[in-house]
Amino acid sequence: MEFADYLPIALMSILGIGFAGVSIFLSKKLAPHNPTPEKLAPYECGIVPLQDPVIRFPVKFYLVAMLFVIFDVEIVFLFLWAVRMDQFGWVGIGAVVLFMLMLIETLGYVWKRGALDWNVARRARNRRVVAPVATLDEAA
Amino acid sequence: MDAIDYHALLPEIILAVTVLATLLVDLFTSRKSFAAITAMIGMFASFVAILTLAFCDNLTFCTSTGDRVLFGGSFVVDGYAIVLQGLFIFAGFIVVLMSVGYLETDRYYEGEFYFLIVSAVLGAAVMASSRDFISMIVALEIVSGSGFLLAGWRKGDARSNEASLKFFIIGVLALALLLFGVSLIYGLTGTQVFSEIAAASSSVEDIALFNLGAIFVLLGFGFKVSAVPFHFWTPDVYEGSPPPVTAWLSVGSKGAGFVGLLSVCYLALPSVTEIWGPVLWLVAALSMTIGNIVAIKQTNVIRLLGYSSIAQAGFMLAPFGAAAATGADLSQTFSATVTYLVIYAVMNLGAFAVVIIVGTRVGSYELERWSGLNTWAPGLALSLAAFFMSLAGIPPLAGWFAKFVMFSATIGVGSWWGYSIAIVAALNAVIALVYYLKVLKSAFFDTVPADLDVATLEAGTVPGPTSFAIGLTAAAVLVLGIFPGLAANLGDFSSDFLATLGL
Repeated sequence: MEFADYLPIALMSILGIGFAGVSIFLSKKLAPHNPTPEKLAPYECGIVPLQDPVIRFPVKFYLVAMLFVIFDVEIVFLFLWAVRMDQFGWVGIGAVVLFMLMLIETLGYVWKRGALDWNVARRARNRRVVAPVATLDEAA
Repeated sequence: MDAIDYHALLPEIILAVTVLATLLVDLFTSRKSFAAITAMIGMFASFVAILTLAFCDNLTFCTSTGDRVLFGGSFVVDGYAIVLQGLFIFAGFIVVLMSVGYLETDRYYEGEFYFLIVSAVLGAAVMASSRDFISMIVALEIVSGSGFLLAGWRKGDARSNEASLKFFIIGVLALALLLFGVSLIYGLTGTQVFSEIAAASSSVEDIALFNLGAIFVLLGFGFKVSAVPFHFWTPDVYEGSPPPVTAWLSVGSKGAGFVGLLSVCYLALPSVTEIWGPVLWLVAALSMTIGNIVAIKQTNVIRLLGYSSIAQAGFMLAPFGAAAATGADLSQTFSATVTYLVIYAVMNLGAFAVVIIVGTRVGSYELERWSGLNTWAPGLALSLAAFFMSLAGIPPLAGWFAKFVMFSATIGVGSWWGYSIAIVAALNAVIALVYYLKVLKSAFFDTVPADLDVATLEAGTVPGPTSFAIGLTAAAVLVLGIFPGLAANLGDFSSDFLATLGL
C-alpha cells in the first residue's frame, strides 16, 4: 500500500501538533493569570532593558558563533558520506580527505589571522594591515 | 563508476588549487605581491590547460577526441565551454593585473582579494561546463558569493558597504526566483539535466506551469546580466565597488549570467523558443533603449560605464529575441551572442583599466574633472578613445564586428522578430555614440579644471601591471577588429556542438 508508507509521517505530524497544542492549552488553563505590562510585552530575547546599556560587549562572540556555523556545517557533508562509506570506496575516502584538508586550511587561515585569539590587544599588535585610508571620492 | 577524465577537468583543478594556494601564500609570506603572482601563475596555467583541450586533435599526448562528457552529462567540455572558460580566465587575469596597482594604494587586505577573484573565475569556468541546473546554480553562487564580498572591499567606505549589501540582496532574490523556476521545471519534466529537459519539454502536460517555470528562470538570470527591468541595482553597485571589482562584475559576473541564459535557452529549452524568445526580445529592446538613454545623463564615468554595460547586455540579448522566429537558425544566433560577449569582455576590461588609472590620478570619477586629459596624458587619452570607440562600434576596432555579427544574426532569421530587434538595435547604436563621444570630447577638447595641477598629473606613472593589461586588451581590440575572422571562429567553434543536437 502506498498510503501505509506515509503512516510514520502522519503519526509524527499528529504527535507534533498534539504536543504543541496540549502544551499551549494546558499552560493557558493551569497557569495563574495575573498580567502586568512587563509580562504582556512581546518576548524577544532576555529581559527588556530598563536603560541603555553603558557597557560594550566584545564583538568576538559573533565571530566565534560564525566560525562555529562554518565548521559545523561540514558534519552534514560528512554524514552523507558516512552512511554510504562502503559503496564509495577509496575514491570516496580520497574526496572526503580532500574536503577536510580544505577545511583545515580554512582553520589555519582563521588561526593565523588571529580570529581565534581571545586577547584583543595582542591581536591588534599582530595585525599587518590597517583600515583603508579615506577613499578617492570622499577625498574629492 | 566510470573513470574520470582528468584532462577535461584540468583547468578547473588548476584553478581550485590556485584558490587554496593563493590564501596560503598570503598567510606565510610578507610580500603582498606574492599572492597576486600566485593567482596569475595559476590562471595562466589553467589557460594553457584550456588551450590543450581546444587543440586536442593536434596534440600527440591527447587521446580523447570530440566533446568530453563527464559525470553523467552534468559536466561537458565542448567548444562552447572552452571558449567561455578561456574568456573568464582571461578576464580574471586582466582584473588581477589592474588590481595590483590599485590595491597597493589602499594598504588593506590583499591576499584575500586575489583569493576571491580566483574563486569567482573558478565558479564562472565551472558554469560554462555545467549542463544541469544543480551544478550550474552552485557555480553561479560561487561567482556571486565572491562578488558580494568583493563589492564591499573598501570597508571604510559607506558606498562600498551599500554596494555589497544591495548586490547581496538582489543576488539572493534572483537566486530565489531562479530556484523556484527550476523546481517547477524539475517537477514537470522529472529531470534537471539540460539535454533530458530538452527531450521532455515537448511532452509536458501542464504547459502553462512549464512556461511559468521557464519565465522564472529567465527572470533570475535577467538580474544576473543586469538587463532592464532588472537593472536598478547595477549603477549603485558598480559605483560603490572598488573599480577593479566593477570591471570583474561587468565582465565576469555578467558573462556568467549570459552563460546561464545561453545554456538554459539553447540547451534545455531549444524546442520552446516561443516561450523565451518574445520575453527576451522585450528585455533586449528595453535594456538597449533605457540603458542608452539614461547613460547620456550620467556625469560619473563609472556610472556611465554601468549604464553602458546594461545597454551592451541588451545588444547581446537581441539574438535571443530574434530566435523567437519559427525556423530561426539557432546556431547562428547562439554564435552571435558568444562572439559579442567575447569582444565586449575584452573592450570593457580595457576601458576599465584606463578609467581606473585616470580616476586614481585625478582623484575623482566625475567627468568634469577629467576634461583636458589629452594635455597631460596623451597616451591614456588615446587608449581611452580606442576602447570607447570600440564600445560604440566604430571600425576598425573590435566593437564593430560584435555589432555586425549581432545584426547579421538578427536579420538572418528572416522574420519580423529579427527585423524589429535589429531596427531597435540600430537606433540604439546611434544613441550610444552620444555618451561615448561625450567622454572623449571632454578628454580631448575641454580645458583642464583650474584647481588641478597639470605638472603633478603629468608626473604620475601608470603601474606596470595595469599598463600591461591596457596593452593586452588594446592589442586584442585592434587585432579582433582588423581580423574579425578570429572572433568569428571563436563564435563558430562555440556553436559547433549545437549541430550535433540537431538545431
